[in-house]
Amino acid sequence: MIEMKDFSFRYASGKRNALNNLNLTIEDGDFVGIIGNSGAGKTTLTYAINGIVPHHYKGDFYGAVTVNGLDTVDSSPEQIAAHVGSVFQDVDAQMVASMVEDELLFGLENFSVPREEIEGRVAEALEQTGISALRHRDLDTLSGGQKQKVAIAAILALRPRIILLDEPTGELDPQSSEQIYSLLARLNREHGTTIIAVEQKIGLLCRYVKKLLVLEKGEVMLHGPVREVLESSGRMEESGIHVPRIVSLHKELSGLGLVHSSAPVSMDEAETMVREALQ
Amino acid sequence: MKGVLNYIPGQTVLHRLDPRTKLILSLMICVASFLSGRVSFLIGLLALNLLLGAAGHVLPQVLRILKGMAKACAVMFILQVLFIQQGNPYFEVIGIRITDFGVRTAYMVVLRLLDATIPLSLMLMVTRLTDLSNALVVHWHLPYQYAFTITTALHFIPVFFSDMQVISEAQLARGVDFDTRNPFRRFALMAPLSVPLLVSSVKKTEQAAIAVELRGFNLRTRTSAYKVTRMAGADWAALALGAALIALSVLMNTL
Repeated sequence: MIEMKDFSFRYASGKRNALNNLNLTIEDGDFVGIIGNSGAGKTTLTYAINGIVPHHYKGDFYGAVTVNGLDTVDSSPEQIAAHVGSVFQDVDAQMVASMVEDELLFGLENFSVPREEIEGRVAEALEQTGISALRHRDLDTLSGGQKQKVAIAAILALRPRIILLDEPTGELDPQSSEQIYSLLARLNREHGTTIIAVEQKIGLLCRYVKKLLVLEKGEVMLHGPVREVLESSGRMEESGIHVPRIVSLHKELSGLGLVHSSAPVSMDEAETMVREALQ
Repeated sequence: MKGVLNYIPGQTVLHRLDPRTKLILSLMICVASFLSGRVSFLIGLLALNLLLGAAGHVLPQVLRILKGMAKACAVMFILQVLFIQQGNPYFEVIGIRITDFGVRTAYMVVLRLLDATIPLSLMLMVTRLTDLSNALVVHWHLPYQYAFTITTALHFIPVFFSDMQVISEAQLARGVDFDTRNPFRRFALMAPLSVPLLVSSVKKTEQAAIAVELRGFNLRTRTSAYKVTRMAGADWAALALGAALIALSVLMNTL
């Protein structure tokens, strides 16, 4: 569980708080999508969870952030990393090895995972991400989507209870993006892994996550189950945050009095909505 | 980008040798080429290099290196011939004597250059950098930070190269004329691009540093590596071959 109490952070070079007075709880087993305009504090929020703030980036830190009971100020980034695995947007920057297998070994070796356990963990992580066939491939022969899966597998092998992803599909095509999110959804469903993802593509996000967290100017604007948050799509649009097109369509149709159901989240629901409007 | 120094996957004897063996053997070949004063030996060594390339299934890449070095070799050859004035002159042009000694020294230098460059490049083609750095850290107690710095630097070269490509293509699309034949002009056009490249590189390395820190980089110790290589019969045989080459080069000098 991640808890933030009256948490504010201002970078040493910043003029205003990057995050301001956050009170937030993310429960075990949640699948949370974080959205917001650029500069809203999305990345800083991920840094606050994995301990990069305040250990790597210095600044004024107020309040408290705890991850599975660990206070992020008192714990080292490595201690926090045993609970939270982080995947970054720039796939090439986070790779350390030249071969898929070695990429997975890196973290396992560093955290002194017992030798006899290593093989099982590598095989399992590759299996879970569906890339067992790529085990002995060179990383520079892989596509962007495959590399992102390797990055996720390298984190999975460490068996964190929480996986944190900062725009994991930023450089991917729509099909690979879908694959990544359905993989994350499966991990969340089958293994109960808590997943927190910062994402620009809100339509994609709404199809997979359980909860949405909308940030604006360093503060939480909305936080709750996807449906509830989308009810307030008007507020999001006012702030210039994109909402899924099916949600905007719903708003227009219900404004005309043509539909009375709540906003659709999936394509199937959108179809039902359009049928209702046509009748 | 597939550079000439990249690892080329394979299962040949050379691939399977211990990284330490490959490093020592390639250095031994270099030493042998520098010790030798015999043309026949140097030509033999060049043939051995090509043979090793063929054995590691990387002959085309080795030939590409040879081709790439042809220009440098030609320049070296001409400079040596022009500057060395000792020995019996073949002929004399505007006060510069072309001598038998000069020509001999020139082709010896060129042969040595080739003999000494190929083994190290060849080693990099048949050895994974991760394996090399693991071997150096575990067996030779090289601090992991140093090994990591080197492997990461090599790892980032193609990444930065493709970034540069993107930046210059973006400029091309806006009509910047990189095709100009004037090298000074081309340099003047390219130089400003180093700024965005630098910015994006710093950002990348920052993210890389954070990513490895969160994967326990600072916890790593000398014995962390999972795959530890061991010297086998083939390794000792390869080292014996290297020692024999050095002995032979010295022996041939005294004959």
